[in-house]
Amino acid sequence: MIRAALAALVALAGPAVAAEVAAPERLRGVDPAALGYTYAVGTFAPEYAPPAPGSYTLPVIQTVHDHPLVDADGRPTTLFTLKRGRVAVVAFIYTTCIDVAGCPLGNAVLARIDGALAAEPILARRARLITVSFDPERDTPARMARVRALYRPSASWRFLTTRGDNELRPLLEDFGQPVAKLRFADGRWSGLFRHVLKVFLLDRENRVRNIYSVGFLGPALVLNDIRTLAGEPASTAPPGAAGLASPTMAASARRHAAARGPSPRHR
Amino acid sequence: MRLTGGMLLLILIAILLTAPSARGDETCMSPYMPKITGQEDYVYVWTLGVEGVGDGSDKLVTVGANPKAPNYGKVVSTVSVGGRHEAHHGDFTDDRRFFWAGGLDDSVLYVFDVAADPAHPKLARTIDSFVRDSGGVVGPHTFFALPGRVLVSALSNDRDQGGRTALVTYNNDGKFVETAWMPDKAEYGYDVRVQPRLNRMLTSSFTGRQNYMRDFAALLADPEAMKHFGNTMVVWDFHARKPIQTLAVPGAPLEIRWALQPRHNYAFTTTALTSKIWLIAQQDDGSFRATPVADIADPKRTPLPVDISLSADDRFLFVDTFMDGTCRVYDVSDPRRPKVVHEQKIGAQLNMVSETWDGERVYFTSSLLANWDKKGKDNEQFLKAYRWDGKRLSPLFHVDFLAEGLGRPHIMRFGQERFYKNQIFEGS
Repeated sequence: MIRAALAALVALAGPAVAAEVAAPERLRGVDPAALGYTYAVGTFAPEYAPPAPGSYTLPVIQTVHDHPLVDADGRPTTLFTLKRGRVAVVAFIYTTCIDVAGCPLGNAVLARIDGALAAEPILARRARLITVSFDPERDTPARMARVRALYRPSASWRFLTTRGDNELRPLLEDFGQPVAKLRFADGRWSGLFRHVLKVFLLDRENRVRNIYSVGFLGPALVLNDIRTLAGEPASTAPPGAAGLASPTMAASARRHAAARGPSPRHR
Repeated sequence: MRLTGGMLLLILIAILLTAPSARGDETCMSPYMPKITGQEDYVYVWTLGVEGVGDGSDKLVTVGANPKAPNYGKVVSTVSVGGRHEAHHGDFTDDRRFFWAGGLDDSVLYVFDVAADPAHPKLARTIDSFVRDSGGVVGPHTFFALPGRVLVSALSNDRDQGGRTALVTYNNDGKFVETAWMPDKAEYGYDVRVQPRLNRMLTSSFTGRQNYMRDFAALLADPEAMKHFGNTMVVWDFHARKPIQTLAVPGAPLEIRWALQPRHNYAFTTTALTSKIWLIAQQDDGSFRATPVADIADPKRTPLPVDISLSADDRFLFVDTFMDGTCRVYDVSDPRRPKVVHEQKIGAQLNMVSETWDGERVYFTSSLLANWDKKGKDNEQFLKAYRWDGKRLSPLFHVDFLAEGLGRPHIMRFGQERFYKNQIFEGS
């Protein structure tokens, strides 16, 4: 499977117009196991039924800011413009990723969620799926449009890129999504990136309420989290206190935490 | 071509079944964190300061571990945090860029950047608000990486310094997220480990600050104090962070290791005071049952089992006992019938054990707690590296942490240049 993906990468990377020219052909002699991250032994395939929507709370992990993006039709937009007060699932990918524990997994899960949302129009109106490339050199709007055509998503799923590193870096830093080019020993870029797949769940107020990586990225679980947030009255997120913008707010949140003692979750 | 629902489902199943495939185990690590495979270049050792030894402060010590490097078996760098805080456990964030470590005495957290220069970690952040942030939790113990967050189990509280405690979550930026208190009748805490495949989290139980900061001999001689140790493990719905089952595991169950192989829906722990290996196994109805499956040495002599390590193939369980300084390797292929297959004295006292991903190297350190370590000539403080060939442990190198002016070495984690340089080693 990985070798087939490598061949696809070599084919895809050919016509790319990139500021830094990659050398994916050199990957043919490399052990595929050396190219991706290794997380665990065995499998992460879920063997459980996720807890019912609304039966648990999702604390605030951090708050993100608005960022400029470019949609698959080449039109400038922003993260918050796309969200428009909805719950959102935001995944960072690059289209030539061959790490099966990375972007292909993220795309496959979002495709399943997209399909499920299409069958629930009321929930679909309250949620947005957003896939953002962190490879603007190669993932042009035209290429994102080709990916969109591959998945033919419902109305909820959008494919975005940025106009370059100046827009991309602050976005990745804000979300806490480190990405690095994977290079050969002589410094030449392989055409691949090293990254831990992270998919972020944002509530209506742009607060991160869950982060999924390969160990916990299952469509059923994410859907129940979307339903949990969609069912929340406005501004009723558990305090969490993370990512609050001002020192005053953060201090207030700490006071609140100190005052409330044991978490309401376990009373 | 359009990807149909059925095609996507097949792709997803294929990914989930193959994604994390790997050959081995890097013990004690969160499954959410990428592992260092192949030869490690460094062992990071979170070390308690000792008055009169070097600068006397807690520090992160980096030791060279690659036999091809000139620094093999030598101290490469140290980062002193100033003062003694009962340095104990630590672990990496989910992207493995930062090493979080805690002090059990004053509950200060230290965050080291290990990615910028793996040979020379730098102190990036100090969090001195843990008790205040968490609403009174004391004694940060296990650091367990979650996506974008660090889950910290603790040992005590600031109200009575006893055993009632909680799980505390921070985000990777060091901002407090939430506190989840241990349930009534299972209030003690120690380790926390998640099995994502089952959406289950296990916690174990030790003792509060008033006990773990006491002199060990005085504690053992105080029958009332000895009543205040944990006798329970808790099974949690991880995603909901809700306790769903309390298991009776008498005698202070400490380290928890989930089995790693598919369909191995069980975990091991050992009890410090009763000296047994326990199997925590999922039953047909989805619940868990705790069963003692083996004695460790002679329990009547209180050998004090401490750290454990399970090999990638779920075959070998390494069990360190503090009092006799011995590592016993159990064959746990049949988890209900562990058998000792190797036994080796490592030193006068012994605490932590860490296996490499390929299972070929095993590292040991000596210190348990500042006031529990042995006195006099038995107070050996070392990092020792061994090769494990499946039958016996053969010495590779050792570092004397007192002679080197470092202190009492505790938890170990691995570092590797190529991991952080994002380099492909062609032909690897």
